[in-house]
Amino acid sequence: MEARLWSALQAVLNGLLTGSLYALIGMGMALIFGVMRIVNFAHGAFLMLGMYATYVLFDRLGVNPYLGFVAAAALLFVVGVLSYQLLLRRIAERSDFMQILLTLGVSLILTDGVQLLFGADYHQVNIPLLDVNLHLGRHISLNAPWLLSFAITLALAVGMFLFVMKSRFGRALRAIAQNRYAASLMGIDVLRTQALAFGLGLAAVGVAGGLLLPVFYLYPGVGDQFTLKAFVIVVLGGMGSIEGAAIAGVVLGVVESLTSLYWGNEWALVVDFAIFLLVLSLRPSGLFGSQRV
Amino acid sequence: MTRRRALLAAAGFGLCLLVPLVVSQDYQLNVLFRVFLFAALGLAWNLVGGYAGQLSLGHAAFFGIGAYGLTLFHQKLGIPVGAALVLGVLAAVAAALPIGRVAFRLRGPYFALATIAFAEVLRLSAKNLHDLTGGDVGAQAPALFATNPSRWFYWSAVALTALAFAVTALTARSRFGYSLQAIREDEDTALACGIDAARTKLLALAISAALTALGGALYASLFLYIVPDQVLAIDISNEIAIVAMLGGAGTLIGPIVGAVLLETASELFKNVFHEAHLLIYGVLIVLVVLFLPEGIVGTVTGWWRRRTKAP
Repeated sequence: MEARLWSALQAVLNGLLTGSLYALIGMGMALIFGVMRIVNFAHGAFLMLGMYATYVLFDRLGVNPYLGFVAAAALLFVVGVLSYQLLLRRIAERSDFMQILLTLGVSLILTDGVQLLFGADYHQVNIPLLDVNLHLGRHISLNAPWLLSFAITLALAVGMFLFVMKSRFGRALRAIAQNRYAASLMGIDVLRTQALAFGLGLAAVGVAGGLLLPVFYLYPGVGDQFTLKAFVIVVLGGMGSIEGAAIAGVVLGVVESLTSLYWGNEWALVVDFAIFLLVLSLRPSGLFGSQRV
Repeated sequence: MTRRRALLAAAGFGLCLLVPLVVSQDYQLNVLFRVFLFAALGLAWNLVGGYAGQLSLGHAAFFGIGAYGLTLFHQKLGIPVGAALVLGVLAAVAAALPIGRVAFRLRGPYFALATIAFAEVLRLSAKNLHDLTGGDVGAQAPALFATNPSRWFYWSAVALTALAFAVTALTARSRFGYSLQAIREDEDTALACGIDAARTKLLALAISAALTALGGALYASLFLYIVPDQVLAIDISNEIAIVAMLGGAGTLIGPIVGAVLLETASELFKNVFHEAHLLIYGVLIVLVVLFLPEGIVGTVTGWWRRRTKAP
């Protein structure tokens, strides 16, 4: 009996650690949706790009992924601003149909472009930190890389939240999310703010990619599962709500971890989608936070 | 559709049936099979995605049910191949009803996301239920044609395309079709005009699912072997939607044009880019969205109309 409790507690803790990364990915998507009303189907592909950037830095220059993720975030920020200026800005007034299709196209180009450049092989980074485990008592042990990424994610998520809530730029973001037209009348440069928001959303994904690299196999299609997870997270958290996405990400991590423990790893994603469909059909505004961005 | 155009279309499909007299290599016939298969799937999708304007990104669900229906009804219950095919199609229609019931309550991106989720639940369940489906190891699909399979599959794909084309042509000019288009243009107004939007959309999805399942069964039987990551994959859903939108969603011949262009392009690029041939899909999609938002057929007919109307 006691052993079962410990294993459940261990699963919850593992879920919290994974969930923090989900939260970051989801916050990026929520930010983009809130400010642009665009469902980013290329979210996972951008994450994959962040992972490859971190991998190349590690492989060619020996940069530790826990430093490399900063570069990945910077790269993704630039990629985000450029994608907005070159592509998304031009279809801002079109139907969601077209926006979904465009990001889907971008996702295919990124995934297969990377496959063309780097091949379809699986890669993995080996750093000493991966074998370090922290033992709490006799029953609980936590893997050091996950703890480190948890700490970094927590700091960044809090920073991002404060930035959106307190800064002048964040206020502009929230104004656009509420009413784009009124915001432009108040002297907010909507195009510039949206470009920066898209860059910021992708930078969050770049961080997540860098932090995922040490604990995940890397291959061109790795991002697809995260696009789907990001959808689940933003719907769960209420489309466009950043704090909702943060909570939903953590909840999803814990639910997945518990599902894996009791039903097996292969059912985790099924449960994700079941929850997703349940929320969509019963409460489309999301479970957490009705406030938008 | 006028009588003259209907005859023209019939003659066109009749000519397509004669192709195996000229082309005899299995490889070439299989490429042509794929062109017509996706033309049919694109036409089926077009009823929901084009005419009703509901962006489904989960049609792999119906495709996979058709494939697994044929396979499992035959393999597990010993039902004859023809009857198993029909049961698979009925299963897809049966699945369309609950899927539609949940998804059609949602609008815009939420609808697309819900259809993806349904298809993914099916794919993952098929992977996990080893005893029923064989999981990732796969299942052996029965052969629909014993002799000359390449020719017969080609003919079946042409017939399926003709069927989907006829259904679309009849729908487009019927009360049902006009209701679908009214829903696409403005669902609230359509409701106010007394159109039962929920039932209309559900009927469109059921027809679309039946045609898609037929395509899935053909595909399974040609390859004789199916796995969930192949017949229930998101890639199938995407490809179906892309074929239709590339050619022109909501137009009669758009999906056929899209299938010819996309499938031949991807076949040509397969030899250049190997596994990365989806790259060409991505590039085509982005170009179409940016420069031909109505799709190829939609843009060309719009341009033609403006030209002929001008003095």
